[in-house]
Amino acid sequence: MRRNPHAWLNWALPLITVVAVLAFWQAITVGGIVSPAQFPTMSDTMGALAGEVASGRVWPAIGATLIGWLIGMVITIVLGLIIGTALAFNGFAQRSAAPVIEIFKAIPAIAILPLVILVAGSTLPMKVFLVCFAAFWPFLIQVIYGVRSMDPIVLDTARALGIRGARRFLAISIPSSSPYLVTGMRIASAQALILCIVAEIVGGAAGIGRNILLAQNSGVVAYPTMYAYIIVAGILGVALTGAFFLLEKRVMHWHESQRNIRASNVVGAA
Amino acid sequence: MSIATAVPTATETVLAVDGLRKIYDEGTDHANMAIDTVSFEVDKGEFVCIVGPSGAGKTTLLRCISGLASPSAGTVAFEGRPLSGVPEQLGLVFQDYSRSLYPWFTNGDNVALPLSARGMPRAERAARVTETLEAVGLGHVAKKYPWELSGGMQQRVAIARALSYRPELLLMDEPFASVDAQTRFDLEDLILKVRRELGITVVLVTHDIDEAIYLGDRIVVLSKNPSVVREIVEVQFGSERSQVETRSSPEFLELRNHLLSLVMPKDV
Amino acid sequence: MTRVTTSLVPTVRPRRAKSGLRRLGQVLTPVWLPLLLIAVWWFATANSTSPFFPPLGDILVDTWNQWVVFGAWTNAVVSVRNLLIGYVFGTLIGIIGGSLLWRLRYLRVAMNPIIYFLYVLPAPALLPAMIAIFGIGDMRQIALIALGSIWPTLLNTLDGMRGVDTVKFDTAKALRLGGWRTYFRLVLPGAGPQIAAGLRASLTVGIVLMVVSEMVAANSGIGFFILQAQAEFAIKKMWTGILVLALIGTVLNYLFVFIERRALRWYYRSRALGSS
Repeated sequence: MRRNPHAWLNWALPLITVVAVLAFWQAITVGGIVSPAQFPTMSDTMGALAGEVASGRVWPAIGATLIGWLIGMVITIVLGLIIGTALAFNGFAQRSAAPVIEIFKAIPAIAILPLVILVAGSTLPMKVFLVCFAAFWPFLIQVIYGVRSMDPIVLDTARALGIRGARRFLAISIPSSSPYLVTGMRIASAQALILCIVAEIVGGAAGIGRNILLAQNSGVVAYPTMYAYIIVAGILGVALTGAFFLLEKRVMHWHESQRNIRASNVVGAA
Repeated sequence: MSIATAVPTATETVLAVDGLRKIYDEGTDHANMAIDTVSFEVDKGEFVCIVGPSGAGKTTLLRCISGLASPSAGTVAFEGRPLSGVPEQLGLVFQDYSRSLYPWFTNGDNVALPLSARGMPRAERAARVTETLEAVGLGHVAKKYPWELSGGMQQRVAIARALSYRPELLLMDEPFASVDAQTRFDLEDLILKVRRELGITVVLVTHDIDEAIYLGDRIVVLSKNPSVVREIVEVQFGSERSQVETRSSPEFLELRNHLLSLVMPKDV
Repeated sequence: MTRVTTSLVPTVRPRRAKSGLRRLGQVLTPVWLPLLLIAVWWFATANSTSPFFPPLGDILVDTWNQWVVFGAWTNAVVSVRNLLIGYVFGTLIGIIGGSLLWRLRYLRVAMNPIIYFLYVLPAPALLPAMIAIFGIGDMRQIALIALGSIWPTLLNTLDGMRGVDTVKFDTAKALRLGGWRTYFRLVLPGAGPQIAAGLRASLTVGIVLMVVSEMVAANSGIGFFILQAQAEFAIKKMWTGILVLALIGTVLNYLFVFIERRALRWYYRSRALGSS
């Protein structure tokens, strides 16, 4: 039985490519094409990474970054859901708020970083504030889109059944707009991680970013450690964003099937 | 000046389909034979309609004879030469005009697209675009966008686009299925008029038997899939047809009954 | 799939003239809240004794002094210039890369994890590496911005191209457009709205990287200006920098939306008319 004779390529090709890239990295650094003063060898970097893991130094760094991300995300999501839903149901409020949201979204959160450091120091609250400042606006926009895109029949049904307020919010608005919400969470998560790293590199807060900068400041001998922590940052990005991408796929799949069921209910009443 | 309305004495075969077979996912365990064996010929200037029950592989057949898909077995010859890709002298009109027309181009630019692909100089292009749009009754829409027009008008633009480079053969895949009934009659008459004025050969796939009888000189009736040619029916109306008179004539009814019996699902 | 632009700025629809009062309402609605917030800021800080939040009036005056009179605007010029060079370079690579990955299926399969990794890697994390490679100077800024701008554009270009309707490709074959023509007249415009979304995301990343790079081991630019002022505890000066940066960010975004709405006029008008 020949289903897809080339299916094995789907995992083999990427694997081979990654191996090839790593080998290439090793080759050009060991071979001297790229100066070791600028770019360490692959083996040194992997060794440094292993060292950081083995010595346990990597975990507090990841923890410090993650805790800022987590608290910031929770605040962003809760505030965003409440305010976004309220805005979406009131056309005037939404039209009034739109320019403000767009303006705040356009301000890079890093612009106020020096100010926030003055007020709060290189601390967790500083990091959390910046994360919220950056992640809130794009998430809010997605919430508004999501709630506005709700099937009007669902809303009418809710009204007819007398479901209002918090109940309607939790039981109806959120599930119906879930694809947009999850997309918004993914965008917010990416922004949050970026701001965590920024707060650590520029603001000196504890975390992966600070370790990267410290390694760079320590000179060429610590460059492998620097790149090791960059890779850690990437892995964190893969884990967090990847989780939301997967969630997005599942929610969209559920949502599409739900919509198809609803559509066929409307049509197939005979 | 219209060409001779009688059957042309020197017949030239524009399209020759011989033993066409198409199997999807050949060699796997969910292989699906859409077309078993289909053979027919289309002569120059003819209007041939292809009908069949739903699922009869009509669209598959059209894709094979247009060069968009290659058959699993059998041959398709266009103007005597076997197909390799879409031939230059072929025009195609799809059912879904809204997905086929390019929304980022104006109607005029859409119609000009194949002309620039064939290297026609700009001034000549503009003139040809105007001429073709006028021929389909849309002289004033060149500067507008397809989505600014109604469904029927969009399909006219699509037809104009297919005709702009004066192809020998026009293939149409259920072109009037997505418009309302009134517009359908207008478009049917349009295609008859265009064919008369330009002297092109037309092959039209449709599920609408009335339409096939009204438009066609011959009708190829396909069976359910895996499709074979059940019958090729001659239509004797000649080239003077009118929606009201032709459709109410007793010959029309007779043909209709005959075709219905061929196409309708039986208790086999 | 969430639809493309994430701007709440509404598409302008041609409307018939309404009664004067309604039109006044339409003009005032998007304006009253920002004005109110500015007024609140003004009055809340008017008699402020906090060292961190000087009166808004003073800040505005100082903005004029610093940026126009004392010539701090050269910082803005440097920053924006670096941003534009890096952005153009990065997004161009993104579009070309995305096109290549769309065209060459095996390349796409092979590069998938690597590209995904580089996309989710927080770009600021690369700054120390850029410092190590380029030292201090504009080249470092530009390189970092370019590097960060590539991925959102690349992925959205790829996605957009893959989402182009197959019927349109059949049409291209039927019209015998050929490879290059199909690319420039079908694939690129067809993916246009999605590419624009990617370009917008790349702009956001670029702006962040521009400022980040100027706040670490730098000697010019808006970010440098703000940080310098903070280090000197010249709070008002710092605020002027923040204001100017916010202004530049807003202007760039509105400029982008403006250009996008014109370049993709066909898309927005067709959606306004209700067809998809």
